[in-house]
Amino acid sequence: MTSVPPRLPPAIELRRVAKSFGTVQVCRDVDLAIETGEFVTLLGPSGCGKTTTLNMVAGLEDSTSGDILLAGRRVNELSPVERDVAMVFQNYALYPHMTVAENIGFTLRMRGMKRAEIAARVTAIAASLELSHVLERLPAQLSGGQQQRVAIGRALVREPRIFLFDEPFSNLDAALRVKMRAEVKQLHQRLGVTSLFVTHDQEEAMSISDRIAVMNRGRVEQFGTPEEIYARPATRYVASFIGNPQIELMPGTVEAADGRPAVRLGAQVLPLPGDGRFRPGQKVEIGIRPEHVRLGAGNLSASVRLVQPVGPLSHVVLDWDGGSLTATLPGFSRLQPGERVSAAISPDDMLVFDQETGLRL
Amino acid sequence: MASQATFEQRRRSAGLFLVAPAIVVLLAILGYPILESMMLALQRVQLNAGEIQRSFIGLGNFQRLLADETFRHAALNTLYFSVAEVVLVVVLGFGVALLLNHPLGRPGFFRILLVVPWAIAPVANAVLWKWILNANYGVLNGILQSLGLIDYYQVWLGSPFSALNFLLLVDVWKSVPFVALLLLAGLQRVPSILYRAAYMDGASRLQAFRHVTLPSMRGAVAIAVVLQTIWSLRVFDLVFVLTRGGPADATVLLNFLAYRVTFNFLDIGYGAAIANVIFVLTLLLAILYIRLVRPAEGAAR
Amino acid sequence: MSYALYRRGGPGLRLVTIVGLVLFVVWSAAPVVWLILSSLLQQKALIARPPDLSPANLTLDNFVTVVASAAALGRGILNSLIVALFSTAVALALGAPAAYALARLSVPRANAIAFLVLATQMLPSIAIAIPLFLVISRIGLIDNVFSLGVVYLSFNLPIVIWILRGFFLGIPAGLEKAAAIDGAGVLRTFWHIVLPISIPPLGAAAVFAFVEAWNEFFFALILTRQSAQTVPLVIAAFAGQYQTVFGQMMAAALISVVPVIVLAVVFRDWIVRGFADGMMKG
Ligand SMILES: Nc1ncnc2c1ncn2[C@@H]1O[C@H](COP(=O)(O)OP(=O)(O)O)[C@@H](O)[C@H]1O
Ligand SMILES: [Mg+2]
Repeated sequence: MTSVPPRLPPAIELRRVAKSFGTVQVCRDVDLAIETGEFVTLLGPSGCGKTTTLNMVAGLEDSTSGDILLAGRRVNELSPVERDVAMVFQNYALYPHMTVAENIGFTLRMRGMKRAEIAARVTAIAASLELSHVLERLPAQLSGGQQQRVAIGRALVREPRIFLFDEPFSNLDAALRVKMRAEVKQLHQRLGVTSLFVTHDQEEAMSISDRIAVMNRGRVEQFGTPEEIYARPATRYVASFIGNPQIELMPGTVEAADGRPAVRLGAQVLPLPGDGRFRPGQKVEIGIRPEHVRLGAGNLSASVRLVQPVGPLSHVVLDWDGGSLTATLPGFSRLQPGERVSAAISPDDMLVFDQETGLRL
Repeated sequence: MASQATFEQRRRSAGLFLVAPAIVVLLAILGYPILESMMLALQRVQLNAGEIQRSFIGLGNFQRLLADETFRHAALNTLYFSVAEVVLVVVLGFGVALLLNHPLGRPGFFRILLVVPWAIAPVANAVLWKWILNANYGVLNGILQSLGLIDYYQVWLGSPFSALNFLLLVDVWKSVPFVALLLLAGLQRVPSILYRAAYMDGASRLQAFRHVTLPSMRGAVAIAVVLQTIWSLRVFDLVFVLTRGGPADATVLLNFLAYRVTFNFLDIGYGAAIANVIFVLTLLLAILYIRLVRPAEGAAR
Repeated sequence: MSYALYRRGGPGLRLVTIVGLVLFVVWSAAPVVWLILSSLLQQKALIARPPDLSPANLTLDNFVTVVASAAALGRGILNSLIVALFSTAVALALGAPAAYALARLSVPRANAIAFLVLATQMLPSIAIAIPLFLVISRIGLIDNVFSLGVVYLSFNLPIVIWILRGFFLGIPAGLEKAAAIDGAGVLRTFWHIVLPISIPPLGAAAVFAFVEAWNEFFFALILTRQSAQTVPLVIAAFAGQYQTVFGQMMAAALISVVPVIVLAVVFRDWIVRGFADGMMKG
């Protein structure tokens, strides 16, 4: 065995952090530990408490209970500056009365830095963000993408310990969004600054993150790599939130068929993996992702309801007597509505959740 | 400079620090006078050889009010004046706002016309109208006679009914513009998408007015009514310059009565009682309006 | 019917609008026009029946006489200027921070405080006039422009607070958060971010307060004697004294209202927007 180097404390750590607005509890028992240099995303639907969590890390909102630690130090009582975090806001929050240069330089001015040094740093940042030619403009005179870059520049210029992003791309159109996503990821690869990113867009989260924390109603349901979250969702909620088209969820009951576990969905009985996870009679929910439905072979008989080509793939919605099912096929599918097909699902591809707790079995 | 306060605690203490001076100043200016005025209302105050003598008489001043013919008269005058003024000002103001909201009414010239009467001092306004209404040389008489509408020059401020109504007219003239500006701002806030939707739904223009404009204007109208009520009950300068309460006390409004009782009759305790009645009345009306408007706004959201 | 036509209205509505606008212009402008005309006409033209408007009767004599003879008017204007500037400046200096705190800084019971501030405006001046008079004469500051200016804070502070609070309520929270992240505390956020983006409402509040102070009559009547008399008192006295010298009376009145009218006309859009915002957001 090699000797383990002394572990650094996590760059950001939340310990049982909770937040209430009056009687409304917005965050409950949030536990997170983010390592130095990691890029972590908080993912969840609108209103689940992502911004609130981020604001508590930033020092823009008090937690009702729990501890927030940065690099091992409890910072609940520290101001945002003392925490040394920079943040990019959802609507950019650029100061409308200041030029681009003033916007970027404001934070340095607040620290009492010399004018000449501010100007030098601002110029350098602007050059790296392709903003040099708009430095004297007001935010209102910029395009959405430029405003976005100014917001990022304002965060970069401080060379902070931690970057926070609150849905920074939600106001951009689709193409620009993808472009900015790539830029931020490259920025992170280059600078390696610990980043906490908030979004409700699962694709964005998957594509940009080292790890994702999926939030639901103020709780973290699962914290793991994109692959873990996708392939081994901890809960039914995580499974249904991640993946496009959505995973198909069907309630059923575990049975024993020839001594092997199986699940009855409508009139069909599908075999389950025989690894002893299931008890006969157990109420479960079966989740099947579209790419795991194989058409053309198998004993599941279905009819085509709808074919939706999206370019590289086609999504085919099927009706069968257990309900409906979506399959993803490569290229432009030639299937016609009403056509009968047979389908197969490997037992190992099925995600099985406890109906009551929603936990994956 | 690691402070021990959290973000919200810091904001709260900064907030207290910022709000305190204004509140302290307001309290310093108003606190004692308000309490003192309530005390005065419960006292008989006499001036004897320059010395003020005060004796506590409980609700005696308020009992006196109930039996006071002049007070009842002034109260009725005020009721008529205020109700009529609020109705006229809000209706006319709404009309003007609609005119100025029409593309034909957009030129800035019209809005200049609106701020002028607002900015004119009530005293200057009263002086101006005293001249316009002059019984011997007034331009109103001149115009009406030239048009053949009157045979002789009239003493407009000479008879009780006419005087009160001219007082009303003059104050309406001065008050309409501001309310119109307020309502115009309200009209411009109605999202134009609502009119588009009404158009798509085949609503006639009248129906659009009825179902889009009016409901959206509830808040603005309510504010206009509250403010105009407060302002109507405060009218003083106009009476002081234009009529001095005459003829035959026809234009004595409560505010003017309180002034006259206090400063002309030196019946200070009684004057304070009248002033307190006006205050409570205004406050009750304002709270009532706010109550009426709030739930409606909540339901609309 | 196109949407544009639908919004503009057909010929019927056009006609009604035009007639309405004409009536509106006549109704609003006529008294002011007569004020100006009277101030420019000789006495003999004014007392003719009907008034004789022939150009031959136009004159500037009224202004000359008023300016030359009524030293009180000049002093009144100066006093009004001092009182209005003083009380406006103090009201802004105290009111703007207070409004910001009430709108955004989670001051306990902020809405109740804001309502109480507004409720002071329902207090008839007469209710507080006597106690104020007694206090101010005890400290010997009757007939003093600055004590009058302080008394004017009793209405100018609430006006400023209400106008600005409404605007501050609408400032996006993101700006304050960005400033906090950038290292500005509450006070520097207020100074560097909030105030600079609030110029129009600050202007509206200032003009409003100035006009109110310039025009105030009742407190001035009670709290001044001679040296601190403001313009409205001078005009009222003038009108009582020279009741029959109509041209001079109008000239004096016109001189007294011109400053605030100019102010109001120049800043009209600020006033409207600032005041409407302030009232409608509360
Ligand atoms: N200042 C506040 N007062 C009351 N409720 C709030 C406040 N801020 C946020 N909330 C509520 O808290 C919940 C979570 O908000 P937020 O953290 O902004 O969600 P997200 O960013 O995930 O969309 C929402 O239901 C929101 O309405
Ligand atoms: Mg959010």
